[in-house]
Amino acid sequence: MIRKYSVLVSLAVLAVVMLVPFAIVTLNALRSPQDYSANGPLSLPDGLYLDGIVEFWNRVDFGGKLWNSLLISGSVAVLAVILSVLNAYALGIGRVRGRVWIMVVFLVANTLPQEALVYPLYYLSKQAGLYDSRLGVIIIFTVIQSAFGTYLLASVLGRFPHEILEAAAIDGAGKWRALWRIVVPISRPTLSVLLIFFFIWTWNEFFLPLIFLISNENQTVPVALGVLQGDKMMDATMSSASALLGILPAVVFFLIFQRTLTRGVTVGAIK
Amino acid sequence: MSKVRTGVAALAMLAALAACGSTEPEAGGQAASDGPRVLKLWHYESADGAMGKAWAEAIKQFESSHPGVEVQFEEKAFEQIRQSAGMILNSDEAPDVMEYNKGNATAGLLSKQGLLTDLTPEVAKRGWDKLLSPSLQTTAKYDDRGIMGAGKWFGVPNYAEYVMVYYNEDLFEKHKVEVPTTFDGFTAAMDEFVKAGVTPLAVGGAEYPAQQIFYQLALSKAQRPWVDGFQLYKGKVDFHGPEFTYAAETVADWVKKGYIAKDSAALKAEDMGVSFIGGKYPIVVTGSWWYGRFASEIKDFEWGSFLWPGNTMSAGSSGNIWVVPENAENKDLAYDFIDITMKKEIQNLLGNSGGVPVAADPAAITDEKSKELIENFTKLSAGDGLAFYPDWPAPGYYDVLVAGVQNLINGSKTPSAVLDEIAGPYEENLADIGN
Repeated sequence: MIRKYSVLVSLAVLAVVMLVPFAIVTLNALRSPQDYSANGPLSLPDGLYLDGIVEFWNRVDFGGKLWNSLLISGSVAVLAVILSVLNAYALGIGRVRGRVWIMVVFLVANTLPQEALVYPLYYLSKQAGLYDSRLGVIIIFTVIQSAFGTYLLASVLGRFPHEILEAAAIDGAGKWRALWRIVVPISRPTLSVLLIFFFIWTWNEFFLPLIFLISNENQTVPVALGVLQGDKMMDATMSSASALLGILPAVVFFLIFQRTLTRGVTVGAIK
Repeated sequence: MSKVRTGVAALAMLAALAACGSTEPEAGGQAASDGPRVLKLWHYESADGAMGKAWAEAIKQFESSHPGVEVQFEEKAFEQIRQSAGMILNSDEAPDVMEYNKGNATAGLLSKQGLLTDLTPEVAKRGWDKLLSPSLQTTAKYDDRGIMGAGKWFGVPNYAEYVMVYYNEDLFEKHKVEVPTTFDGFTAAMDEFVKAGVTPLAVGGAEYPAQQIFYQLALSKAQRPWVDGFQLYKGKVDFHGPEFTYAAETVADWVKKGYIAKDSAALKAEDMGVSFIGGKYPIVVTGSWWYGRFASEIKDFEWGSFLWPGNTMSAGSSGNIWVVPENAENKDLAYDFIDITMKKEIQNLLGNSGGVPVAADPAAITDEKSKELIENFTKLSAGDGLAFYPDWPAPGYYDVLVAGVQNLINGSKTPSAVLDEIAGPYEENLADIGN
């Protein structure tokens, strides 16, 4: 009994700790700058003040940024999952020669800091005419995300029951058919989790979009939030308003796909 | 079967998304070439600030004097320009004219890399040099090594900034303290606040404000050659000379006397400003970039500003500069636009909106508070009193100074040890650039 309650209490504490930053952001998003200066960031707002959010929305054309973020994150999530599946099928089930070393390369690629990639990517994208285009960023992130996806999926598919594949082969299924009719449907929970992670990770990317999306009309949500951070000044209330607008879509997305996510995480545990 | 169908749906969605992604950038790229002429203009000032207002008016005037030219203005993120200006200017995405940070590490570096247009002929032709005082010109000119102060013109500043003393008139009245006009009066006033149990100075020790106080104190003992030596490497600077020794000892002394709170070493500039706006401190020493915010957010008390008492020089400089990228397509339009921003009308608007113009007509500044701000600047500028900022001389020096002054405030190092600490990186940089 005591153990049950102690778990409950520690979970509650953890939940509060996780929610406090959101609460502070919300609190400051809904207060006027004067109120912020006079009473500080932690007090309750004097009244509801929505001008900050409205003004920010219009100033950066937030609707356009949302569409860009959605387009880039959505494309990256789908493309990266497909690329990861194809790679992992070859590495995990196809067992190509030297796959251990290929996996090591993918692992190292994962640890590369993005800062190290900036200049090579900059020159490549300029040569290819993809600098300052959404397509360029989609390609870059598809590759970056699928490096992780390949690594993860290859280990998962390495344990794929061979009996099923052999049965399919006897029934006359080729490699391609086995992939789409057998492997993908069975590992669908893992793939959905990857899809959601890729979407949220790409959504939150700041550094590479900042470098590669120059025109305002191509920019994503996190880059738009950067407009408010000046040289010496910051606008705390409007930054909060923008942060709130920025995280809402990711939270909504998460809530919608939450069930898939938990199913994917626990799928191994059922066995 | 349903699983297969979702797979097909995902594929279809992907195809649609990929199609969007690939066609649009091409269409955007072509639009610029076959329409009317376009002036591509970037800056990163907020629309309701002094510069934002003045430049919006300049765009309007440009459009009416250049029929058939479309101004394509984009408000940029400061962070984006800071991180990637070199890469942007090296591509065909470069704008025709843009705001950029002055200084050796920013405009100086780009000029050395050949990414900025030499404006010297235009400056002479249009007489911009006659509108700018010598210390304002310092940040517009860079030599072959990219070091400011001499050489070719690579930028044109539109506004200036300087460090001053802001004070809360109501708190001065409440504690019956005279507004000081001399340095002795300044310390006497702070003594009285301490006696009344009020910490007089709001300081943000974790960012630029503390080092600016340190620098103001050094300037009170300095002459122009010392500043030229420290900032422009013309002659040696002795970190244990009278200027820095006085500054370090005085900061330590002020903490002991209670003028500066011990816990302020951990505060950010934002905390400092907000605590002054909240009426918690009677005095704050900081730059004109706070002026607009103080003006719009302080409602509960009267406030004013004065120059650091007894100093002929103060931390300050030109503001950010207009630069014309070497890859710009319409340089002639860019020059015309810069010329409009230097006109009296635009400069006066900048002044009346709470900024510090470089070439305004003092009589045309109608706002009382702005008048005070600009008169103080004119006083400083006329005496060639802009001494730049202490973190300018070496890359990464900002963090060195923050750490050094924090040590002074915390009392964790003696003034002499702090001077050794900040001398090291400075001397290293001198060796690097070959002085």
